[in-house]
Amino acid sequence: MTALLATEHLTMRFGGVVAVDDVDLNVADGELRCLIGPNGAGKSTLFKCLTGQIKPSAGRILWRGRDITGLESFEIARLGVGIKTQVPSLFDGLTVLESVRLALRREARERVARARAMATLEQLGIADLAQHATALLAHGQRQLVELAMVVAPAPDLIILDEPTAGMSAEETARAAHVIRALNASHAIIVVEHDMPFIRAIAKKVTVLHQGRVLMEDDVASVLADRRVQDVYLGKAADASLKVIA
Amino acid sequence: MDLVFAIGFQVMSGVATLLITSLGLAIIFGMMRVINLAHGEFLMLGAYAAILSAREGLNIWISMLVVAPLVVGGIGFVVERFIIRRLYGRMIDTMLATWGLSLALIGAVTMVFGNTVAGFSAPLGSFAIGGFTASAYALFLIFAAVVLLGGTWAILRFTAFGLLARGTMQNAEMASALGVSPDRVYAATFAAGSAVSGLAGALIAPFSGVVPTMGAAFIAKSFITVITGGAAMLAGTFSASSLLGTVSTLGTFATTPVFGEVMMLAVAIVLLRLLPQGITGRFFRRAL
Amino acid sequence: MKFLIEIAGASVVVIAAILVLPRFLELFALINATVYISMAVLALSLALVWGFGGILCFGQAAFFGLGGYSYAVAAINFGDTTYAIPVAIAVPALMAAALGYVMFYGRISDVYMGAITLTLTLILFNFVNSTAGDQWRIGAAPLGGFNGIPSTPPLNLPGDPGNPLPPESIFAIAAISLLLCYILAKFILRARFGRVIVAIRENERRAELLGYDARAYKLGIFVIGGAMAGLSGMLFANCVFVSPTMFSLFYSGQIIIWVMVGGLGTLVGPVIGAILLNFFTTWAGTLPDINPSLILGAILMLAVLVVPRGVLPSLTTLLGRLRGAGDAPGDAA
Ligand SMILES: Nc1ncnc2c1ncn2[C@@H]1O[C@H](COP(=O)(O)OP(=O)(O)OP(=O)(O)O)[C@@H](O)[C@H]1O
Ligand SMILES: [Mg+2]
Repeated sequence: MTALLATEHLTMRFGGVVAVDDVDLNVADGELRCLIGPNGAGKSTLFKCLTGQIKPSAGRILWRGRDITGLESFEIARLGVGIKTQVPSLFDGLTVLESVRLALRREARERVARARAMATLEQLGIADLAQHATALLAHGQRQLVELAMVVAPAPDLIILDEPTAGMSAEETARAAHVIRALNASHAIIVVEHDMPFIRAIAKKVTVLHQGRVLMEDDVASVLADRRVQDVYLGKAADASLKVIA
Repeated sequence: MDLVFAIGFQVMSGVATLLITSLGLAIIFGMMRVINLAHGEFLMLGAYAAILSAREGLNIWISMLVVAPLVVGGIGFVVERFIIRRLYGRMIDTMLATWGLSLALIGAVTMVFGNTVAGFSAPLGSFAIGGFTASAYALFLIFAAVVLLGGTWAILRFTAFGLLARGTMQNAEMASALGVSPDRVYAATFAAGSAVSGLAGALIAPFSGVVPTMGAAFIAKSFITVITGGAAMLAGTFSASSLLGTVSTLGTFATTPVFGEVMMLAVAIVLLRLLPQGITGRFFRRAL
Repeated sequence: MKFLIEIAGASVVVIAAILVLPRFLELFALINATVYISMAVLALSLALVWGFGGILCFGQAAFFGLGGYSYAVAAINFGDTTYAIPVAIAVPALMAAALGYVMFYGRISDVYMGAITLTLTLILFNFVNSTAGDQWRIGAAPLGGFNGIPSTPPLNLPGDPGNPLPPESIFAIAAISLLLCYILAKFILRARFGRVIVAIRENERRAELLGYDARAYKLGIFVIGGAMAGLSGMLFANCVFVSPTMFSLFYSGQIIIWVMVGGLGTLVGPVIGAILLNFFTTWAGTLPDINPSLILGAILMLAVLVVPRGVLPSLTTLLGRLRGAGDAPGDAA
């Protein structure tokens, strides 16, 4: 079976730094994949390559077997990829409903589009914000509005960069719940840092280190792995990792 | 052979003129990320300062090399205090406000001195190499460009102010945590950049003539040179003015001055397409 | 509903102006009023491009000048102004398409865009200035260098070159053009295209991540703006005649000032800004020893420093507050 999204020998160099080094990644339809790694491992760079924000120096990116390397962001989005950036990226001059309506790019009928946008807002429990200006929302609400824009067009794949950054433990737990629920109908790739969160949602984890794939396995084996403990948290943190695992 | 000499000399003096007239803008843009659209009028004010003090009987060299930069540096200090400082971090607004300043200065100078061309002749006669004569003043301009570039580099590299300025440019918060007041560094930088513009205006005045609207001829070229140069202000201005100055001089030679400008713009656009961060966004990144 | 009321209101004002003004104004004043209206069309073009598209164009005067010159050259060559009108709109639109393609598809930043549009305008200015002499002619039309083309023909009845229109009719045509441009802009902004344009202004990356090709949308609004500026140049050429000053930095700066004073993100504001400021500079020009450039420059500086939201929107807000009238119509388009 061809993977939904795959990379082959994907490499990104910045001058002398090889931020992503010969990465092969395979994500299947309906999968939930976590991408972890210590600071500077190349996660954000990989995210930017996958979402068309930068062009890789070498290697290929495949969507259902079709080469999509070097496509623009909007072309990748049109394939059916929903992308959520780390810092919520919203239309500050528009209302919540208008923003989500814009996300339904392919729906030309205004009435249908508005109804679908409202339905998405209800799903995420923020229907009461529909007429609010996005500029005035609190951080947590902004995260949800962006999520609504990402899921409204029912993408086949959702890519999230550090969705829990800046969230409280409680909010993180709720985010984990939302992501698992979304996974029922969408494949998801999550770039993350937060270990409890990974444990809560992950089935399969890919570990990046110095731009390379260090290992790829289910969450329990990854967290138990010696090499991962060494590179990911450093030796001093062994104890805490054991607690988490 | 003489023709090669003549063309080579023309190219060098074209490059030098572009470099001199862009440097003040580059200093301000490089250090403060501020585009001063009144740059052309700062040149004009420098030219007027020189010509007026020369008319008052002051030595022509002192008028050009001392009075002009002092006067325009002072004006720059005031402008920074009342306009630029209020708009830090708002790049577009700064461009708009300095454009307003540019129009206002043209208007004010026209009211005071009238819309007529004043001028003074190049103070140095001419010289000959083989069968080809050239203005000695053009040679002086080339020399001045080298000195200005080298001097700015030396100030940034070796003096305490240069260190402060570079530190603030890299990280204003860190510098202010170390007790350096970024406000003061910015004020001094803007004044210094303005002084360089004033000097440049005085230097080119013998060739360009002095009119209230003379700035318009330079602002676009300087702007595009600085932008093409990119982040590293000295290396950027040097490489961009070498390239664009050569293109426009050769274009002018082959056809007309206007066509030379068209070619220069075309090259700049192509270059920006290839190197969106300017020349020094890709090359000489560690240079000043 | 509000949409229809605004369009109806604008139509009433324009029709009233067409019916009333020619009766009261002397010929010279009527021609001046026509000039102001052409400036209002120009302001509207930049209001779309900059105020809604978020594209900082320092060279709107380039399209204005191109429109004027294309009209003059085409009209002289055709011997009839009928088909010169589409030429005056098409040439600047094509220029905007070429320039916009380079800028937007090259994904260059605001500052670079400012540099390129400014330089292009200056080059056109220098070029047209250097076209004195008989070798510079396009067909039957001499370009005339810094003198411009004094023989720019006024509009004639369609297909009837022997019948040039009187200034009253040209005034009416200008006013109706302004109204049509306004209605067009309203429809554009109401349509999905306009909403996406505004979304791109708000957050270009987000719009792209939702699947919109920001480059194409920006190119679209830029070309519309170029065409509108060309139309304005054509109207201007009918009142005065075309000359290189149409390309000057003074004009480019003025257009920015009208939009800035009228308020970014509104349509009526820049139109009113253009008309009021033109009145003002014309009046100031009659004062002895006051240079209009000084006044305009001072206005621009003050607008940026004191009321960056735009003078007219701030005034409406203030008036609204004084009246205690609740919500201020700050976003009145
Ligand atoms: N634009 C760039 N230019 C030069 N080097 C870069 C650039 N972007 C990233 N890098 C380098 O590439 C490497 C990987 O960076 P990246 O941001 O992808 O790591 P990360 O895994 O996201 O780290 P973090 O967990 O800290 O966010 C780092 O060494 C970084 O310095
Ligand atoms: Mg990162």
